[in-house]
Amino acid sequence: MLSVIIDEIKLKADKGRVLLSGINFTVPQNSILTIAGKNGSGKSTLLLTIPALLNEKFYSVSGKILFEGKDVLSSGNTELENIRRNQIRYVMQDSANSFNPLKKFRYYFEDILKDKTSQKEASDLFDYFMLPGIDKIFSLYPYEVSGGMAQRIGFIFAFLSKPEILLLDEPTSGIDSPVANLLLLKLKEFASTGNNCIILVTHDILFAEKVSDRIAVLNNGRLSELYPVSEFIQNNNEFSSLY
Amino acid sequence: MDTLLEIKSACYKPPKSFSMTGEENEAILKNISLTVAKGSFTGIAGESGSGKTTLARLIAGLIKPATGSIILHHSDEWKSIHTNPVQILFQNNGEIINPFRRIIDTVQEALKIRNNGKPDSASKPEEILKFVNLNEDTYTKKGYQLSGGEQQRAALARIIAAMPELLILDEPFSAQDPESRINLSNLFTEINRKYGTTIICISHNLQLLKTLCSRLIVMYKGEIIEAGNCNEIFSKPTHPYTEYLLKAEQYSLTYDELKRIPEN
Repeated sequence: MLSVIIDEIKLKADKGRVLLSGINFTVPQNSILTIAGKNGSGKSTLLLTIPALLNEKFYSVSGKILFEGKDVLSSGNTELENIRRNQIRYVMQDSANSFNPLKKFRYYFEDILKDKTSQKEASDLFDYFMLPGIDKIFSLYPYEVSGGMAQRIGFIFAFLSKPEILLLDEPTSGIDSPVANLLLLKLKEFASTGNNCIILVTHDILFAEKVSDRIAVLNNGRLSELYPVSEFIQNNNEFSSLY
Repeated sequence: MDTLLEIKSACYKPPKSFSMTGEENEAILKNISLTVAKGSFTGIAGESGSGKTTLARLIAGLIKPATGSIILHHSDEWKSIHTNPVQILFQNNGEIINPFRRIIDTVQEALKIRNNGKPDSASKPEEILKFVNLNEDTYTKKGYQLSGGEQQRAALARIIAAMPELLILDEPFSAQDPESRINLSNLFTEINRKYGTTIICISHNLQLLKTLCSRLIVMYKGEIIEAGNCNEIFSKPTHPYTEYLLKAEQYSLTYDELKRIPEN
């Protein structure tokens, strides 16, 4: 049974400035957690802490991030590489910039599309997200596609590699509403099958309400509220007052 | 009310030299006709790739229509001014503000050009920067030192300094949290009211346009499919595609419904 346990995370920047403190939550298997909050509240930083992506030189982290009994933060480099390669996928906010502009899309998918079934799966996903055919996309360079298209290709890449933990930073920022609706359905389907869970960060509160099982609200680096969605809508809390 | 902008059956097709394959490009805008009244606030909605930004560039004169005409009924004073009566707040603000100049100098220069090189006593750059809610300590910062939201406000300050008759906002809310969205939309309403600037706002978020605009235009595949009073469109969309967009925004469509894009 996979679950991600975030235990007493405290993050300090180099000059002793506290960015995150006292963060505790658990994400059970087959569930979706949304982290919401204002700009600068530390949402994306928290998401970056989970695969230990912050540079140790400038940030000091204390606490534990556990899944399958392993603590990510105290893992060695090779172990960390394995975790990142096999178990976690992180779709960044600006997916367009996470591809090398001088390598065609084919390059990124070569490793995962070795057999017929995965190729079929990939072309189904391209069709699902209303993208042109797989051959057309693979012959393009990342700089040739629009931001929204690059973001969709980022999602497809993440879904194809079947991670145990899927992290999404602002998934709806660059895509329009029909595609966001499609993504919502896909995320629910993905979370409900197999051995995995999803943590996402978003401003889009309507998206959060429809997709997630629980919503956590970050305020100045502290976890101020954590609700199941039904209670989140009922309670007239500080975050929903913004809408 | 007087008409500021008149577009008569404009079409746009990128020239052949832009094509990578050497074949003729497809038309991006087809038979666009629309009028915009002076002092109004118009919203343009549509999914990505429907030609919203191309229409904005066409209105600003950055590209020329293949057929049809675009007439701007601006006042006579623009004959002696070296700036464009149409200004665009672009999507990628970070690339537009000069990273190596102080913000206050950037705004000062825009003011100077607007007044034909004469120093102007009426408006000061500090006032404009204050109007767009920038902190006083950012005035002397350089472009690269600002955050994304601050860069956007600095770009807006420069546009206000140029006092355009028509202001086009291209996806101004794409990277803002809900609180700054509210602040920013209040700011746009105030520009519209205080300076009497006509504003066209482009966005794929219909709910946001509803709060801002009095008139709404919906585009699909380079054509205007619906235009009219904003509230009327929301309560009674006449085109099935508008209805589809409104429902998709509530995330209430199923997979089959999403795949069946209405084409009328």
